[in-house]
Amino acid sequence: MILAFNIVMLVVVLAPVVLVVWISFTPTASFVLPLSELSLRWYREALSYPGFVDAFFLSVEVAAIASLITVAATFLAAYGLVRYSPKAAPALMGFFTAPLLVPAVVFGIAMLQFVNRIGLYNRLLGLVLAHAVLVIPFAIRSLASTLRGVPEELEWAAMILGCSRIRMMLRVTLPLCARGLVTASLFCFLLSFSEVTTTIFMSGPSLQTLPVRIYNYMSDRIDPTVAAVSALVVFISLALVLALNMLGAFRRTGSRLYP
Amino acid sequence: MLGSSFSADTSGSRARSALAIFVAPLVFLMAVGFVWPLIQAFVNSFHLNTSHGIDLEHWTINNYLRLADPLYLEILLRTLRISAAVTAITAVLAYPIALFIARLSPRAQSWMILAYVSPWLVNTVVKALGWTLLLRTNGVVNTLLLQLGIVDTPLRLLLTETGVVIALVPGHFMFALLPLWTAICALDPALSWAAGTLGATPSAVFWRIVLPLTLPALIAGLVINFIMNMTAFAIPMLLGGVRNMVVSMLAYQLDLISLDWPLGGALAVTLLAFTLALVWAGQRIAVLGIAGRAAKI
Repeated sequence: MILAFNIVMLVVVLAPVVLVVWISFTPTASFVLPLSELSLRWYREALSYPGFVDAFFLSVEVAAIASLITVAATFLAAYGLVRYSPKAAPALMGFFTAPLLVPAVVFGIAMLQFVNRIGLYNRLLGLVLAHAVLVIPFAIRSLASTLRGVPEELEWAAMILGCSRIRMMLRVTLPLCARGLVTASLFCFLLSFSEVTTTIFMSGPSLQTLPVRIYNYMSDRIDPTVAAVSALVVFISLALVLALNMLGAFRRTGSRLYP
Repeated sequence: MLGSSFSADTSGSRARSALAIFVAPLVFLMAVGFVWPLIQAFVNSFHLNTSHGIDLEHWTINNYLRLADPLYLEILLRTLRISAAVTAITAVLAYPIALFIARLSPRAQSWMILAYVSPWLVNTVVKALGWTLLLRTNGVVNTLLLQLGIVDTPLRLLLTETGVVIALVPGHFMFALLPLWTAICALDPALSWAAGTLGATPSAVFWRIVLPLTLPALIAGLVINFIMNMTAFAIPMLLGGVRNMVVSMLAYQLDLISLDWPLGGALAVTLLAFTLALVWAGQRIAVLGIAGRAAKI
């Protein structure tokens, strides 16, 4: 009984994503299931629609820059918090995770008014800034737990042997945190790549990331082309999720990526 | 000795300045990209919108008073109705699922959790497309229901509140499931075993041991779930349509169509205040729940 109940729930959770992927292989212009045969017709259609291709590259660009900025700044901050464990550490940690408490709609409104005020509306920098901030809470949690796993004795040893702190961080700490840094970067990339609401509110007409472009397309019409491009998004997201899973990101004892 | 000489370093003023250097870039990023925008919207919300921009000379609370418009209240009521329905359904579903997952092998558990989490990592627009294809008049759900003879005419699910609720439940289920599952896994198995040896039936073990000990975690998750429901944008927009306008769609209308930023700012500030109050209340309930039980024991 309870097993059947769980299977039903899992089907409901996965159904929309699976259905989009399944239907994207339709050879016809309609959405009739089951498919008579599989076809890549709508993928060719989607890839020859410049709006989607441009939006894809913009999405990748924003996600890459935002996650690099955030991971770099957050790694330094996490190092400070973990190694010096100041009295202010809990307060700073609360501050850095605060974006989690602000609904995406509210942040989108605030960002829209802010970027207009300082002249960054419809500019890449404004969008990157928003995405960088949105992923900070996930990066700081994950990197702080990574750094807690690096024995401080190794750093002491390097410094006793004459390394400066900067050299020690580059030669000892950074390599030991490589896995954690890759995990955090990939996760930030994935979150930014999937971000919809804040971006819709603040990005401006010429900066439509892929989810926003799909949203605008869907508001107009629904055809297998949009299913194909959505399926491509699913494949990319799923590949990243599986990579993160292999890195151990979703283990309960792991780098605490879950909200 | 060495350790102490290094740790002595951590409390001095040198350590403080070193810490400041490490933390500075992220604090700067947060100050510019988070604090400033929120303050900007907050400040804008206390000014009037005029035909040539926001009148920054005069301060007013007029925007907040305008939010009390009956039309806006109806939208707010609809938002709360949808969010409460989703959270209530989530609350009922959470225990059977979490208990089931917690009993699996560690390997199976991590795959199950991954299956529940990964749809969250796919953007909501794609899921909205999936739900549109499922819930349309000639969509998958109606086709199945007609073929099984459960209904005679297709149900109207798209562009209704019901459709929005159906899509939001699985979309935000994870926020309640994860904390509850973590809490159940953290329970000492000896508790249930001990209760069993004292003659408790499995249902008594659930109602008198598992439920009271894990309820605070579920409540914390349900609060997040409720906030996510309340502020969801793409799913209500694409599945509910403008006829079933919710608060986030109103915000879009005010900020991007009417371009009335002071009013939009007032809405944002109100939403944020409501969110923070809910989070605070949720934490109070969780803390009081634990303290209350400790007092009883």
